[in-house]
Amino acid sequence: MRRYLRSVVFILFLVTVSSLALGFQTINVGNLERGGDTILGLKLGLDLQGGSDLRYQAALKDPETGDPITPTPDQMESLRSTIERRVNASGLGKPIIQVLGSDRLLIQLPGVRDITRAKALIGETARLEWRHRTFDVDRPLPGVTQNEVLDVSVIDLVEFHDQSSPSESATTTDSSVMENTISTSTVETTSVPESPKPGLLINFTPSGAKSFGQAMDRLEESIQPDPGFYPNLIRISTNGTTTTNLLFSHVPILEVSGQRFPVSSESIVKKIENSDSYLIDLTSVLSGGAGTMEEAQEQFSETDELDFSEIFGKVDEDIGLTGEDLARAYPGQHQGTGLPIINVEFNTEGTEKFAEVTTRIAGTSDVLAILLDDEELIAPGVPEPITGGASYIQGQTLTLERVRDISLLLESGRLPVPIELIKERDVDAILGADSLAKSVVAGAVGLLLVLVFMIVYYRMAGIVAALALGVYATLVLAIFKIAPVTLELSGIAATILSIGMAVDANILIFERMKEEIRSGRTLLSAINIGFNRAWSAIRDSNVSTLITCAILFWFADTLGATIVQSFAVTLAIGVGVSMFSAITVSRTLLRLVATTPLNRHLQLFVPSGKSDLQKPTETE
Amino acid sequence: MDFVNKRIWFFLTSVLIITPGIIFLIIGQGLRPGIDFTGGSSMNIGFSQEVDPNEIRAKLSELGYVDAIVQKLGDDTFFLRTVQLDESDKNNLVQEMENSLSPEGLQLLSFDLVSPMVAKETLVAAFWAVIAAAVGIFFYLWWAFRSVPKPFRYGAAAIIALIHDTVIVIGIFAILGVLFEIEVNTMFLSALLTVIGYSVNDTIVIFDRLRENILLYPNRSLESIANLSISESLGRSLNTSLTILFTILALMLLGGPTIRVFLWVLLAGVVVGTYSSIGIATQTLIIWEKGDIGRLFRRIRPASESN
Repeated sequence: MRRYLRSVVFILFLVTVSSLALGFQTINVGNLERGGDTILGLKLGLDLQGGSDLRYQAALKDPETGDPITPTPDQMESLRSTIERRVNASGLGKPIIQVLGSDRLLIQLPGVRDITRAKALIGETARLEWRHRTFDVDRPLPGVTQNEVLDVSVIDLVEFHDQSSPSESATTTDSSVMENTISTSTVETTSVPESPKPGLLINFTPSGAKSFGQAMDRLEESIQPDPGFYPNLIRISTNGTTTTNLLFSHVPILEVSGQRFPVSSESIVKKIENSDSYLIDLTSVLSGGAGTMEEAQEQFSETDELDFSEIFGKVDEDIGLTGEDLARAYPGQHQGTGLPIINVEFNTEGTEKFAEVTTRIAGTSDVLAILLDDEELIAPGVPEPITGGASYIQGQTLTLERVRDISLLLESGRLPVPIELIKERDVDAILGADSLAKSVVAGAVGLLLVLVFMIVYYRMAGIVAALALGVYATLVLAIFKIAPVTLELSGIAATILSIGMAVDANILIFERMKEEIRSGRTLLSAINIGFNRAWSAIRDSNVSTLITCAILFWFADTLGATIVQSFAVTLAIGVGVSMFSAITVSRTLLRLVATTPLNRHLQLFVPSGKSDLQKPTETE
Repeated sequence: MDFVNKRIWFFLTSVLIITPGIIFLIIGQGLRPGIDFTGGSSMNIGFSQEVDPNEIRAKLSELGYVDAIVQKLGDDTFFLRTVQLDESDKNNLVQEMENSLSPEGLQLLSFDLVSPMVAKETLVAAFWAVIAAAVGIFFYLWWAFRSVPKPFRYGAAAIIALIHDTVIVIGIFAILGVLFEIEVNTMFLSALLTVIGYSVNDTIVIFDRLRENILLYPNRSLESIANLSISESLGRSLNTSLTILFTILALMLLGGPTIRVFLWVLLAGVVVGTYSSIGIATQTLIIWEKGDIGRLFRRIRPASESN
């Protein structure tokens, strides 16, 4: 008995430590912090506790060629920490975020219920950038130069409509609209409907007419939520001097001599069907809506040359200053006035870019628009050049709350690399809890079935195997908890399977023992020889399983397939511990039994129904 | 018991099992790749009342998901597979389902999305994983059996048994795919690799006996040694398979539906793996040793000449 004392103590020590590790919900020894409020304090995967597993691909593109670029490890790391901060600040729980390979990101959100919010927060495209914004940019109308204008004439609209065929529906509706508009804006004209109305008829070349039509369409598009980036004014000037502005904003406005009238754009400019001519109603344009033929002829003579240009409300220029250049942004108070401000600090590269642009636009009416995902956060002006990299934004409308929100958005918005979702797995907590409960029951029943089978078939040895399996289960669970291994559904399946493998080692040994006992050896020598003979089979079969596990692990690692990875890791641990349990635990226990009076009852160690035992001969 | 003399029957049995699987693989739609291999979205939905799968299909095609697949998992639980859905499409689909089919609310139990790029990578990696596992095991066996003559053959025979098992399991799933629309996913793949591990595991136990007996009885023929080794390890093979089957059955009856496909693969794999160790792996060694294949050709040649 004393010969096996060391093994016994070792096994008891391991079992005690493992039981303690499992017995306490949380462990806190030195730097080691494990456990939680889950079953036995084990770390559960998403499919058992509910949550989301998201995989993102960095979608960095060359701004010129559009070719994909592999991000640098630094960019990926900063992407990772940005998202981590974002999710942590949201109260959605603690995310697990890791970089996979060179351009992928794995984000696990355990227990998250509102995945739509989480995904919006992670931000598939969130991109922070500074743009140099200029106002009222005047550009010549593309494709409509003087060469495109064949001739210009002032005509009487009333006469013109009478001449044109009444069946031309477009013109008819047009004139009715025109009259409506005029009647609402000016009362005088409606009282004298028969007086001549001046109109400007412009004949374009076909390409000129097409370009002008496109410009008109662009003008129409200014009726968009953010009209700023579309032309909101088309200017027609004669001989280089501005006389007439046709100004449209998203409520199209006509401006003449400083007076503005909301009008319908169709009522002013009309394309004449099946021609390259445009007709402009000068009645509304001139003299506050009461333009006369004389006034029109005075302004537009046949020899005049027309210049066309479009005016943009604002134009944003890319200056290459993005969230990547931001060091930090935080709310603060102005030292003099005590008003809330937003402190914005740039890194070295950002400081350079910021200094360049602020020097260029300081004191002008231009502003620096800060856009998050192309949506404007704030667009402060620049009173003086800022070369130090540290700046602040102040303003009358900035409240404490708004300052905090913008700071947070600036901080969180600086995703250095745009990302896109390539894989997602969400499991509801209810389904997870259900799977867990079912797996625990299935595992317990499976283990019990195996134990019963072993005891019924191998009797005394079966009891030893059952004890060894108990040790095995305790050790495996303790390793899972301490390592820690994240248990997923597939991992539980692997664990239960490895029970089968652990039993297999015992079966191999017992079958060999049985043969040795039948050939007439004593129990102890049968145990020793049985173990030695079975060892090569156990070793080779388990090594081949470990090879498969290693390949599975590599396969899963390449893909970031956590399900498969969990399976491989748990199976490998199971196989390793099962070898230990069979070789050390079963052998020690059997040897212990062999030193007791039970060693006289050899039939206890041989499967039932076989009584062809020879009388044992003492050989030791 | 003389296993070796019945080797022709073992091979015929295998051919009989493999053939229908191959036929289904070729003429049927074969394996039904899940979104893991094709890309797309799938979800499990729990309705609060009984729903006819055809109503779900009708609703899905009304929403424009014409090729959607609907499977019943439990009483009120369904598996839906569609093209890749973005967040708003997904929320819209769930909302529509709730409004029209389950006004008292429904539970989106799980949702999966795989982009075509990831799916393609999975397919490539899966292929290499299987090849790598087979090669790794082959070389390990070659090395492990270096003490007996022609160790190379042991590795090769184990791989042949492994391919045999893989083909049968894939064939079974081709049949199930056609009959029950069972889909093949990464879970299936892990199960297949486990089967490969088990198949080799079981083969090794018998080969281990062969190795031992060859060294023990250097003068006996390989056939008689093979018979002896199979008989000696038969009890262990059956008992081990039984214990694994116990655990698989327990999981199958009591575990959730999520890993059921996985368990079916294992069940088939364990049965086939146990059989192939005796019927294929060991018999391949014998055929190789006796040059059966060469003899078969010699027998055919005179026959064809006489015609």
